[in-house]
Amino acid sequence: MTPIHELSVHNNAQDTMQAPAIQIENLSKWYESFRALTDVNLTIAYGERIVICGPSGSGKSTLIRCINQLEVHQKGRLVVNGVTLVPGMKGLSAIRRDVGMVFQHFNLFPHLTVLDNCTLALRRVRKLDRREAEAVAHANLERVRIPEQADKYPSQLSGGQQQRVAIARALCMKPKVMLFDEPTSALDPEMINEVLDVMTLLAQDGMTMVCVTHEMGFARKVADRIVFMDQGQIVEQAPPSEFFTNPKHERAKLFLKQILH
Amino acid sequence: MSFVDILRGIFEGFDVTLIVTLLGLAYAIPFALVAGVLQHFSQGWLRLLVTILIEFWRSSPLIVLLYAFYYSLPAFGIYLSGIAVGAMVLGLNIGGYGSQSIRAALQALDRGQVEAGLALGLGRLDVLRLIELPQAITVMIPTFINLAIQLIKGTALVSLLTLTDMTFRAKEISQLSYDPVRIYSSLLLAYFIVCYPVTIFGRYLERRASEGRRSISEI
Ligand SMILES: Nc1ncnc2c1ncn2[C@@H]1O[C@H](COP(=O)(O)OP(=O)(O)OP(=O)(O)O)[C@@H](O)[C@H]1O
Ligand SMILES: [Mg+2]
Repeated sequence: MTPIHELSVHNNAQDTMQAPAIQIENLSKWYESFRALTDVNLTIAYGERIVICGPSGSGKSTLIRCINQLEVHQKGRLVVNGVTLVPGMKGLSAIRRDVGMVFQHFNLFPHLTVLDNCTLALRRVRKLDRREAEAVAHANLERVRIPEQADKYPSQLSGGQQQRVAIARALCMKPKVMLFDEPTSALDPEMINEVLDVMTLLAQDGMTMVCVTHEMGFARKVADRIVFMDQGQIVEQAPPSEFFTNPKHERAKLFLKQILH
Repeated sequence: MSFVDILRGIFEGFDVTLIVTLLGLAYAIPFALVAGVLQHFSQGWLRLLVTILIEFWRSSPLIVLLYAFYYSLPAFGIYLSGIAVGAMVLGLNIGGYGSQSIRAALQALDRGQVEAGLALGLGRLDVLRLIELPQAITVMIPTFINLAIQLIKGTALVSLLTLTDMTFRAKEISQLSYDPVRIYSSLLLAYFIVCYPVTIFGRYLERRASEGRRSISEI
């Protein structure tokens, strides 16, 4: 089920094949005195597709935002692409380059065209010149099926298109891991599928994906593993076939009942 | 004297008004940017220092600052021309106001913008320079135009440092021919003639900035 080894797409595949993409050990995180994560353990291999779900406030966003250190953890061990992330460390931007993130509210840069949204980091961070960067951007806009919108501004696009641009923007950096934080929950229902379709394509290409989502159809189809969180802890992990038919934890049963009616 | 003669006489002071305005902007813009950004990012004593500096320039009466710098600096062996003092005092005063709108605009920006930049692997300074400031400055265009107009109007005060700007010329003319109604309404008209194009220019900038991105707030 878990195609750990079909990973020729990734650079450095040979050094990283065996080592996990993400290794989380006893991770804890507090906001002031509130404990948002409690001793979370999770290992994600290259090529794995993980769906994280759980009730609101259970710490899903906090967990994936720790992976690229948009939130700083206080306790535990966190290894991403072979680098151990220490709270307050320098050189985070070098690590973030290889970890793409897609946000619930897209967070496109409204003052830049779609193309410039995609090329900004390529040029500043990867140091490509304009022509090279635009070639990469066009290829990735093609990949999310919206090559014709390159010269528009984000506000001229529909929500679904904006989110696909956001995915293309992240893909431009050739990340080894992609994080999605509820990428479809700000979208009108008729736009959800176009984004999920793009994510499914990505999964088929072997991308390592960590998705917080409540789209259970997507989870069933694409995920190798469902991670269920409650109150800052991972309370259940299972392949979708098992998780959906035979959830073990009471909270997971209740959650599934609510979400699947 | 005819109306036109009076206006022409007043505009003989235009060069001083213009120079003080331009030099003033040369103080105001960098000061507003640096102070606003520093106040947004700094903490502790640095923030306190920046705040004190901003408040000093923003909250002191202009006329007092002008006299203080023009007449008391020589006592310390520092001789600055009226234009230099006028531009510095007016510029930093306006810059002090500007810094507050820069800070407010940076604070009002959606946190997701910074996060998206960081998540792409951009450094914090690049995020500021390429993502936050361009958006903050766009939002600030109307305020900025207001401040520029305030600066132009403020230059009338340099006539008190005996600089022959438009206001000083008006006073000179009124000594030649006693006709305050005409002279001072001409002076008002003169300032309007100078300021109005700036307003128009501001509208043009706003229109250009909002082209293609009608709804930043939606995002
Ligand atoms: N910046 C913050 N400051 C204080 N508390 C926070 C902060 N961010 C999140 N929390 C709290 O931490 C807990 C976990 O939040 P998190 O956003 O990770 O939940 P989530 O599972 O993503 O929920 P949702 O489904 O609503 O997005 C919540 O109780 C939340 O209120
Ligand atoms: Mg969340």
